[in-house]
Amino acid sequence: MLCRSWMGGSAAIGTETVDKRCSLEQAVAEIAPGSLVGIGGLTLYRRPVAAVREIARAGIGNLTLLGLTLGFEADLLVGAGLARRVRTSYFGLEAFGLAPMFTQAAGDGNLEVVEETEASIVFGLRAAMARVGFMPSRAWAETDLPRVRKDVRTVEDPYTGDVYTAFPAIAPDVAIVHAREADALGNAVLGGNLAVDRELSTASPTVIVTAEKVVETLSAEADILGQMVTFVVPLPRGAQPTSCYPDYPLDAAELLRYVEACRDGKFRQYLKAWLET
Amino acid sequence: MIPEFAADEVIAVCISRRIQDGDIVVQGLATPLTLAGYILAKLTHAPNVVMASAIGNVATLGWHPLSLSRVEAMWLDKPLRRLDFSEISCELLPTVQPKEFLRPAQVDRHGHFNNVAIGDWSAPALRLPGCGGIADVTPLHRRVFLYVPRHSARVFVEQVDFRSGVGWQSGKERDWYLVSDLGTFDLHQGQIRLKTVHPGVPLEQVREQTGFPLQVAEPLEETHPPSAEELRLLREVIDPLSIRKIEMVGGADRRALLSEIIRREIELQG
Repeated sequence: MLCRSWMGGSAAIGTETVDKRCSLEQAVAEIAPGSLVGIGGLTLYRRPVAAVREIARAGIGNLTLLGLTLGFEADLLVGAGLARRVRTSYFGLEAFGLAPMFTQAAGDGNLEVVEETEASIVFGLRAAMARVGFMPSRAWAETDLPRVRKDVRTVEDPYTGDVYTAFPAIAPDVAIVHAREADALGNAVLGGNLAVDRELSTASPTVIVTAEKVVETLSAEADILGQMVTFVVPLPRGAQPTSCYPDYPLDAAELLRYVEACRDGKFRQYLKAWLET
Repeated sequence: MIPEFAADEVIAVCISRRIQDGDIVVQGLATPLTLAGYILAKLTHAPNVVMASAIGNVATLGWHPLSLSRVEAMWLDKPLRRLDFSEISCELLPTVQPKEFLRPAQVDRHGHFNNVAIGDWSAPALRLPGCGGIADVTPLHRRVFLYVPRHSARVFVEQVDFRSGVGWQSGKERDWYLVSDLGTFDLHQGQIRLKTVHPGVPLEQVREQTGFPLQVAEPLEETHPPSAEELRLLREVIDPLSIRKIEMVGGADRRALLSEIIRREIELQG
């Protein structure tokens, strides 16, 4: 797998290419089965849907999906049987209701759910970025979260003696982020809705940026530095049917079609058609 | 004379009345009714309210009518400042303690609540989307504000199946508030108490639709009804597409409403 050399990846210093543009197929082929995949964006906004579709086309399975929130794109991977585990604070379709395939798989016990919250993901990513094993937080006290996350321990503050939740570091194997604009070096403009895209890109050794357009010179300040990025893929409409503000809105009718297809037991047909688009 | 109003409207108005000028308020995922309430506060008594959201990840002084397909316009057209989520979770939420209205799937008599799973967590009868940041902020914040669009004994339960939101805390004063489509509630001696009933709602109905013996304030008052101006703002200015009503219905009714909203929103955009 191609990695950023300064993070101790496989590429020798000096051999890493500066121009990171490649095809979607080339970039996605670097994702190994069983990887922990960080998916950028938020629920129905600026999700790397086309890149996720390529994962499904390539049939890369046994994945652990990580996202601050997960939605349409992850629901399709779960339904396609390519996800073994999910880690997120919210898996749903907002106004469109529950994510049908996640809800079914979690209910049937066919999917391992690692219960996360915003804090456990964010503090975990911050720990990975700081190259420490955990970050302390006051979150989760008096809740049932620790009961279902036995791996999450507590730590005593050496100064005050207070006890904190010690959120373990989360280092994804690969992160996928959809950008409004990127240059060949991987510098990327996200606009708004930053979610944890910068953190995912910094914490992951392999980062795929798909972009509405790849340009010579960025039209705005970059949100992600090219040094964090491994692959740049030009991918217009790469977030559809989720939105890419302000380039295009959420395709609400498509989301509703998806929910209705699942309700009618037609997920397989929907998946097949989606893979062929 | 009290103008006629719907349950979603009295909830939005109650939310609005908990907001003071200069507050920072936060909107979570899939909660358009709270946003309707926040904007109503901005357009009436709290013009300087700063709004932030899980969507958009900004703080803004601006506002935009509620939308289904262009939700980000509200946040990203005129952001005061962009945030990212690690800043929100690690820095702002522990420090600023903004006001936020949360919608529980279950709430128990002590005001603890659940957004994770119905039934046993490891083999749930119904897996829910998850609790977002609720388990992060509710152990810590002085205020816990909840809203329940459809008050029923399935929501108001003796004991929650999973505690992802913290209500009553022994020895701590908390500003705990809940508004449902039937009335408003507080915590009294660690237990949920009916504080006001909405106009036209009989006390018996609230008792019947609550899954535990309900404490009732003495004297029980009636919720101050929405004014004609509040209703006009909600219906004509803040939410002409009726996005807020999505939260009031489920199943086939929800899909039909979504279909209608999609049609009207496309029409509106020409």
